[in-house]
Amino acid sequence: MSQRAETVVIGLGNLLMGDEGVGIRIIRKLAEQEEQSPDTEFVEAGAAGMGIVHALAGRKKAVIIDCARMGERPGAMLRFAPRDVASRKAQSAYSLHEGDILQAIELSARLGECPASVVIFGVEPVDLGPGDRLSPALNARLDSYVRRVARELAPRSARLTPPVCIVAGDGAVSECGH
Amino acid sequence: MGQTLNIDVHHITRVEGHGNIVARARDGKVQKVEWQAPEAPRFFEAMVRGRRWDEIQPIVSRICGICSVSHSLVAIKALENAMGIEVSEQTDKLRLLLDCGEQLESHVLHVGYLVAPDLLGVKSVIPLVASHPSEVKTIVAAHRVGNAIMEVIGGRMTHPVSAVPGGFARLPTEQQLRDLKKQIEETVPRLEAIAGVVLSVAGKLPAFDRPTEYIALVEPKTYTFYHGKIGSTDTRELVDVHNFESVANEYVSPQSTAKWTKWHRDSYAVGALARFNLNAAHLRPLAAQTAKTFGLKPDCCNPYMNSVAQVVESAQVVEHALQLIDELLTRGIKPEPVKVTPKAGNGAAAVEAPRGILFHRYVFDKAGICERANICIPTGQNHANIQKDFEALVPAMMDRGQDYVRQALEMLVRSYDPCISCSTHYLDVQFV
Repeated sequence: MSQRAETVVIGLGNLLMGDEGVGIRIIRKLAEQEEQSPDTEFVEAGAAGMGIVHALAGRKKAVIIDCARMGERPGAMLRFAPRDVASRKAQSAYSLHEGDILQAIELSARLGECPASVVIFGVEPVDLGPGDRLSPALNARLDSYVRRVARELAPRSARLTPPVCIVAGDGAVSECGH
Repeated sequence: MGQTLNIDVHHITRVEGHGNIVARARDGKVQKVEWQAPEAPRFFEAMVRGRRWDEIQPIVSRICGICSVSHSLVAIKALENAMGIEVSEQTDKLRLLLDCGEQLESHVLHVGYLVAPDLLGVKSVIPLVASHPSEVKTIVAAHRVGNAIMEVIGGRMTHPVSAVPGGFARLPTEQQLRDLKKQIEETVPRLEAIAGVVLSVAGKLPAFDRPTEYIALVEPKTYTFYHGKIGSTDTRELVDVHNFESVANEYVSPQSTAKWTKWHRDSYAVGALARFNLNAAHLRPLAAQTAKTFGLKPDCCNPYMNSVAQVVESAQVVEHALQLIDELLTRGIKPEPVKVTPKAGNGAAAVEAPRGILFHRYVFDKAGICERANICIPTGQNHANIQKDFEALVPAMMDRGQDYVRQALEMLVRSYDPCISCSTHYLDVQFV
């Protein structure tokens, strides 16, 4: 495999399914300021499913941004590691079309290709129905989501990284352990 | 006393949901057999109405994460058909190459990640990494090359951005094509290894034949995925893609919220086996040899063999991709500015998505605003056929017991790899 950027930032989701597209909207804004994140590749992965395995390979760090039902208040953003969560999805295993980023990460790990550090930023949705806009609750917080992930990507000396970050329901950013 | 079955594989639906399997029998008599399929993403047809011509492909490419190239290419072709746009030979070859990438990526993924675990007796590909490490690495490597083709030619790993109406917004460099060629050449022995693995367990594919009508694109002297007319194994008639509605004959089934289709029979099948049955005479050498190794011949009516046809087609597209790259490099990649003048028109097109023939139609006004769309996806076309397979399979296999029948029904659905939940992939997690 050719030389790849040390860090990959992967945005997941569908822009046409309401809040499902929040990961794509965040990564597009991050990519606009990519000069602030050296040796970093931004991958808009949409609904690529197991294709994520290839985006993870050959990196030191992966930052994944996705819409996530986590039982939090709508609009909350949490930072967590794959080992911190278990999927509640009912997977029929009938079809390749059932994407699950956690499965892709597990396969990558078992293949010995997974970056040493994988960080997931999940955003609790309000509306996952058809529509090309975020719900007002998430749209109002979009810039704060971008700032939070950008801090994750900043050079180590410039960032403060708690294990979990919550963008509070009122739009303010607060941080706490989990 | 005959066999009693009570199979109810029900999956909680999210936005679109999964399919459900119901099979009930009492004292050897079948009472109910149903494939309950949810709605396909029809809302995309509503979503594109009122949109500009150049917004259509970016929208419909998000119908599916696995088949986004196919949805992009068929939408572009339908638009070009509506507006009378001709494309260059270079554009045609690049689109064919892009399609080869998606076919390879999807087929290897399906065979390696969904079918192989069935045949090797595990739940998913994950445990296979420990039990069959070299095989899984081979599958992942081949899958990666399909992905690389899509990334280089389409401009992104999925939901391509380079292919646009009239041509390509961004062209690959000749060096990128040379690099791709090297990767694809390295895939040939990997495919032979994958075929060997599938062959070693192919005896576990259920022996089940049901006379079936198969539908696919047909083009003279070509194993086509992209050009041609609509052909059937039931008739020599070839139908122009502009009349695809007269083939699909969509109707509403009470057991499903998705539209079903039929042509000369109560149902028809699309996909790799359909293409093989209609076009096997035009396979390239490695693909033809692969089919021969499996004993796969045209007129095969065992739906489980769709996975074997996918292995054959993987070889086919690899050979075709190498030829396309050679032709592109010989001619040299030339800049070709893309200019589209929108005009009113009604256009339709078809391509072979990995799961089967895919139709799009768009009607535009003189400003190029979309007034109407009709999208007929392969999974929708296969629903009725899955039902008919179920109806034949359950009585034929029920003596082998509930667990066997359930596994056979689930494997059957997997062999079609229906697109039933792919426009949203959000996480649903609890903290542990």
